[in-house]
Amino acid sequence: MSYSVRPDALEKLTGQVLYGVDVERPGMWWGALVPSPAAAGRLVAIDASAVADEEAVVVTAADLPRLLPNGSGDPERPIFPSTAVRYRGEPVAAVAAPTLERARAAAARVRVRLDAEAPVEDLDRLFPDWPSPETMRDHPLVNGHVLARFGPVDRAFRTADELFQETYRTSGVHQVPLEPHACVADATGSVWHVTTSTQTPFGCREDTASLLGIPESSLVVEGSWVGGAFGSKGSALLEPYALVLSRASGRPVRLALSYAEEFQLGRTTLPSVLRLETALRNGRVVGRRARLLLDTGASLPGGDFTLGYAAGFLLGPYGAPALEIEGYAIRTHKPPFGPHRAPFIPQVAFAIESHLTHLAAHLGEDPIRLRRATVWTEGQTTTLGQRVGPFGLDRCLERAAEVVRAWRVDLPAGHGVGTGAGFWSTGAGAGGEARVVLTPTAVEVEQSEREIGSGSVLRGVAAVVERVLGLPPSHVVVRYQDTASGPFDSGVFGSRTVAALGQAAEKASRRLLTVLQERAGLRSTPRLAVADGRIVLEAPGTSAPVETLFTDSERRAGRLVVDGRHYGRAEGGIDPSRAVVGEFHPFTDFTAAAHVAEVEVDRELGAVRVVRYHAIHDVGTLIDRRTATAQVEGGVAMGLGEALTEEMLWRDDGRLENPGLLDYRLMTITDVPPIEVEFVEGFRGAGPFGAKGLGEIPIVPVPATIAAAIHDALGRPLFELPMTPERIARALAERTVDRPPVGRGAPA
Amino acid sequence: MTSGARVSLVVNGRRREVADVPFGERLLDTLRWRLSLKGTKEGCRAGNCGACTVLVDGRPMLSCLLLTHEANGASVTTIEGVEALSVGRAVVRAFEAEGGLQCGYCTPGFVMALVGHLASPGADRSPAAVRAALEGNLCRCTGYASIVRAAQRAAKEVA
Ligand code: FES
Ligand code: FES
Repeated sequence: MSYSVRPDALEKLTGQVLYGVDVERPGMWWGALVPSPAAAGRLVAIDASAVADEEAVVVTAADLPRLLPNGSGDPERPIFPSTAVRYRGEPVAAVAAPTLERARAAAARVRVRLDAEAPVEDLDRLFPDWPSPETMRDHPLVNGHVLARFGPVDRAFRTADELFQETYRTSGVHQVPLEPHACVADATGSVWHVTTSTQTPFGCREDTASLLGIPESSLVVEGSWVGGAFGSKGSALLEPYALVLSRASGRPVRLALSYAEEFQLGRTTLPSVLRLETALRNGRVVGRRARLLLDTGASLPGGDFTLGYAAGFLLGPYGAPALEIEGYAIRTHKPPFGPHRAPFIPQVAFAIESHLTHLAAHLGEDPIRLRRATVWTEGQTTTLGQRVGPFGLDRCLERAAEVVRAWRVDLPAGHGVGTGAGFWSTGAGAGGEARVVLTPTAVEVEQSEREIGSGSVLRGVAAVVERVLGLPPSHVVVRYQDTASGPFDSGVFGSRTVAALGQAAEKASRRLLTVLQERAGLRSTPRLAVADGRIVLEAPGTSAPVETLFTDSERRAGRLVVDGRHYGRAEGGIDPSRAVVGEFHPFTDFTAAAHVAEVEVDRELGAVRVVRYHAIHDVGTLIDRRTATAQVEGGVAMGLGEALTEEMLWRDDGRLENPGLLDYRLMTITDVPPIEVEFVEGFRGAGPFGAKGLGEIPIVPVPATIAAAIHDALGRPLFELPMTPERIARALAERTVDRPPVGRGAPA
Repeated sequence: MTSGARVSLVVNGRRREVADVPFGERLLDTLRWRLSLKGTKEGCRAGNCGACTVLVDGRPMLSCLLLTHEANGASVTTIEGVEALSVGRAVVRAFEAEGGLQCGYCTPGFVMALVGHLASPGADRSPAAVRAALEGNLCRCTGYASIVRAAQRAAKEVA
């Protein structure tokens, strides 16, 4: 099969692939969820007596003991609340009926009676002043706390002759995969089955089984094609509901979210307030502190990963003689905080990078030079004391400075140029396995991940195998298998696919060559090649069709199978003397990026037009340039949305004001400027051939970069995301900004 | 239940009589669930994303906003029928060559919108006009860069 860029292009271009929303089963019924009408309160009764449809099946918490083999599932995480509701839209019941209209009609007739309470939604309202440690110590809404420090922090701040302090606010943003969540479940037999749009089939199986209290072995998850995920399609969301509905109705049940539900129920990035302080002495940085209040919605206490992970990013990839970070996770009545492409880190980078941009302006220094003076390089340690491996950010910044210089020539009035930087870590997950199958005419890679769009599975993993074996793309095919038959893998998340699953495939490929070498009695490692449509083994003086090396049973089966597995290294590396309170998460294989943007700002309307964009990345060794470039382009565009337009607006009663694309605005084809993508190589990662992860880093520096460009154009700092025309107009109209940064005079 | 009536359509060149179509049913749902043409994608169902774009009598239309009964008698082309059109083949080739897609969910909508534009008599094939023709289509994956490259290549090939 030959193709130009992506193996899945033709199928997708002619409407042949089936996504989660497309899956249908004979005799299937349709499901609908009954949302909680309030964000907080005691559940009094769920009354289905008004449901006129006699065939419709309604399931609530009370039905679970009857439907689930071992009682009611995970007591910590009930799929339906039985006492209190946690957020508006939380499913309190589910309905199945023969058609979608009938399911929706029946769901609308289920009456939910609640003693509603006033919900907690807004961090600023909850903490009008920055809370003291005493306030937070026993605060009932604090869900998590982290504190880390290094160096003489107290002395640095005590003896500082100037305190440069700023407060930033960021908003909730949604992943918005174009395909909403959808699945079809069948729990009519002894092994339950769900076909679903998921980026982690095994993770979905684990989570669904645990939520329902069933063994993983009695559940099969089959991934459909995925119409975008960006973190949102990881653990279980609809699958448990669809399964209990199937169990209750005795039919396969399809459950899919509308866009409005997707916005209201989705586990997304939630708002934050960040405070950054740099202690200066004689104009030199002697210490830096970051404080974070992060809205984690209805996450379970301690159940949020983001806080401990984000903590390591709060001060950016920069050193200082004394550092301190402290963060609190705050429980509110929103859906739990959820995974999101580099969850919350574009927002964190916006704050720290803007802080540095403003500091440079304050000190009269060049912002890139200021960064390069303290940017991490290999061998140094992170905020949390981890050793930094090969890390190309300094090189990226050096290139960014050259781009800025070129773009400043003849820069029109009203335009600005700015730079932002960021780093990310290559996830490993629990690990992964892959099978490489050699047939007389092709190599197939059997594995258990669906391509979610980035190309990391179908193109990335294939490219690794091609490179090891020496075969062209036309003769390497990556195949998908469900959780019943496929090898285990952690999932397509955390920028891990090529680096981790790719390593499993790499190992299998190398073993294949070793097996063939031994069988052929060769002194050196052979390569494979294609001759007359057949796969041949090539080594100096040898060229033989591979099937001549098959055993009898392999010849009968027509295939030689070799397994490879890669389980993440034990990382550690966080310095326990720095981690004072809470749980932190170590990074692996640092990737880096510096971006440059030119913007034009309409001073009257506050409107920003991004004129051009240049992204410089260290992702270790490039495995497939076109796929990598496409990933960066997509990540930049998504980041532009987070910078300029995307914002979930909750009212005080917990209702989402903008649950749709009309008011939650994504970048369009006319908003996104030409994007130049550049890679700096030579900073090798631990992945195949020195690759590092790539899926998430492209979005990280974008809001910071746009903020710097706007700052350059207007001479005004911005302290809140997204940078909407209203916020920009306000920053321009007022001598001081809306919420002035404490300890700092009016912006220049 | 809702009352309905027969609708007659020509879908991808084939006459289809669909019985008992409720008067409020959208063309999107008729195509997907009655005719099993799942290539047309359901996104926002509100006219904001373009994923559901099909050609109705040659013009790009959002099938989520069109009632099936309004299309009675019309000729509808979906992504499954795109290769029967010469412009369609050129657009598919161009997207393939440029890799103008990632997850592919927005792809049928982009392809149909572009085919509709390029196949219209006297179509403006300038880069700006081609871009404007795709303004109603959202893509979350590609950042549009590869789509723009593909669309421009298609515009050249068709010319
Ligand atoms: S589904 Fe029709 S425009 Fe979005
Ligand atoms: S390719 Fe995924 S939305 Fe466009």
